[in-house]
Amino acid sequence: MSPLVADASERFAALFRAERDRLPGGGLAWLNASREAALDSFQAQGLPSNRVEGWRHTPSRALTDTEFIAAEKPKVRARFAGRALCPVDFHRVVIQNGRFQGDDSRVTGLPEGVSVLSLADVLRDDPESLRTELSRPIPSDGLAFAALAAASFRDGIVVCVARHARLDRPIHMILSSADGDSGRPQAAHVRVLLILEDGASAEILVESLSDGSAPFWTNLLTSVVLGEGASLKHYWLQHENLTGAMTAATLVTVGRSARYESHAFNFGGTLIRNDLRVRLAGAGADCALNGLSLLRGDEVVDHHTVVEHACVGGTTRQLYKAVLDERSRFIFDGLVDVHPGAQKTDASVYNKNLLLSEDADVHTNPEFKILADDVSCKHGGAIGQLSPESLFYLRSRGIGSEDARRLLVYAFGAEMLERVGLEQLRHTLADALHARMPEENLR
Amino acid sequence: MKNLLKIDNLQAKVGGKQILKGLSLEVRPGEVHAIMGPNGSGKSTLSYVLAGRDGYEVTGGSVEYQGRDLMTLSPEERAREGLFLAFQYPVEIPGVSNKYFLKAAYNALRKHRGEPELDAGAFLKLIKEKAKFVEMDPAFLNRSINEGFSGGEKKRNEILQMAVLEPRLALLDETDSGLDIDALKIVANGINKLRHPDRAVVLVTHYQRLLDYIVPDFVHVLSGGRIVKSGGKELALQLEKEGYGWIDAEKAPA
Repeated sequence: MSPLVADASERFAALFRAERDRLPGGGLAWLNASREAALDSFQAQGLPSNRVEGWRHTPSRALTDTEFIAAEKPKVRARFAGRALCPVDFHRVVIQNGRFQGDDSRVTGLPEGVSVLSLADVLRDDPESLRTELSRPIPSDGLAFAALAAASFRDGIVVCVARHARLDRPIHMILSSADGDSGRPQAAHVRVLLILEDGASAEILVESLSDGSAPFWTNLLTSVVLGEGASLKHYWLQHENLTGAMTAATLVTVGRSARYESHAFNFGGTLIRNDLRVRLAGAGADCALNGLSLLRGDEVVDHHTVVEHACVGGTTRQLYKAVLDERSRFIFDGLVDVHPGAQKTDASVYNKNLLLSEDADVHTNPEFKILADDVSCKHGGAIGQLSPESLFYLRSRGIGSEDARRLLVYAFGAEMLERVGLEQLRHTLADALHARMPEENLR
Repeated sequence: MKNLLKIDNLQAKVGGKQILKGLSLEVRPGEVHAIMGPNGSGKSTLSYVLAGRDGYEVTGGSVEYQGRDLMTLSPEERAREGLFLAFQYPVEIPGVSNKYFLKAAYNALRKHRGEPELDAGAFLKLIKEKAKFVEMDPAFLNRSINEGFSGGEKKRNEILQMAVLEPRLALLDETDSGLDIDALKIVANGINKLRHPDRAVVLVTHYQRLLDYIVPDFVHVLSGGRIVKSGGKELALQLEKEGYGWIDAEKAPA
């Protein structure tokens, strides 16, 4: 490990220690112990670098070589409403620079059995209710930043949906960032808990928006627990600006006959790294993991997924797509781990990429580890370019070559939009997809 | 009457191989020409050269379309000037609906002619009429371009595009191939309905049977990259009866 990286690791630890007494739940011995254990895990794992498994192709220096301070209150309160891609008539919770923003949030009229609260508030008013969840150790294999978030989180959101309750409308969770008074690079560690009891269902959309001119790093740790027959649709809209970075670790436990869906849409950012770990813990548990990334400039998006089939009859459907222009990079690593006894597992993992530039690159690694004998598992990775036949066909009908390219890029991504159940969101994404077409830049 | 298309001594290479070796043809508005020939004679190459596909290199001769040098135009400019190629193998494009595609193409043509783009409602009305005209279920309009279409449905979709775009010169490349008799009749009927004094049609085909339904004004035999014989519709019947062998024999001493 180089001295610089070691220093950086120590820097993050020192940052945590300096903040420790001001973090929420500071009077709770069990929480302090949990934070200390997480920090130990972070330091034991070391900072990600190209020499660390799981980070070989992911440039992490934007995070490790920057001297971040703990996120300050924003100098100017962001007017996110106009910039948010998503329609505004959902329930809304806002985290700005790592702090819950009650004034901007709108969670009135929630159905019976549903609560949406700030994590800091719950730790003040009813900490015992989170003791089990917050005491659970974070896996220590390649999740250093998740451990750092578990140690350092200042705030977050807690969503609980009681037995057989269902959300009437989706929850729109906005993670917004802006420059602080000092104008220095900031890091916000945010923790989200989504707990759906048996038979409960919800749709949650996480949208990240960055506004500042100084680097802002959002380090998000999300824990999801789905009881028997519960269902969560988890949408992600990650469109950081050129100084924004996001690392998001999501740890999901899926109970018997429950279903977890993730739809990740990435439209930019210095670095977006998603670690999605799904444990299909009960019989007949089901997950569908989808992603579409549209990248240009020097943007980097990285999806690392691990799905554990721990029980019989589980289903996994994964499809991640990326369109890469200019010098962008996309990394996909998808592992399905079928435990002994997880018979009748039905799993597929696909990654398909469209390269629009010779300078862009893709690292793809769909993978299975199978320790059961009665399973159906398929995987594949593809990297291609726009089909000359299709381009000619469109042009032969009078469509200009640029429009033809746009149409084909759109067509490549459209499949992922069709999987989005929320109609308003689908329209929003279609517009965003059009706006991110490569030639748009040239006009 | 003035030529719509004048091909003079056209020579073209594909993948370094000389395929067209001095092909000449003149087409006037209102005419229907059939170009027949055995496999490998250069029929598809001619279609692609005229439509402007990459990889088809013109090495000699000239093509005039409406008095302009066609070869200087991009494929989309040719289309906007009224040239239409019905593909032998229409391309499947998942993710783009037929309707959206047709609208983009139609409005590109209108824009080229300095006409305002048609709004969604007016366009929908137009394509529904056109779908009826080619006996196509309107449900196909919402499907992705040619995706999962049968051979007959793909060919009918080509005719639908032609009906919407109303070209001045329609080139139909083996439009009859792979069709059963019912599909063939529907496609032929669609083409016949589009016959017009201002419009010319060039049918490229291996078999005579399409010509039972679309009666051409002229029949040309393409062999070895050249038109070796031209005549009226009776020439097609002779080819059907006697095959292409006698053409080669007749050509040999010349």
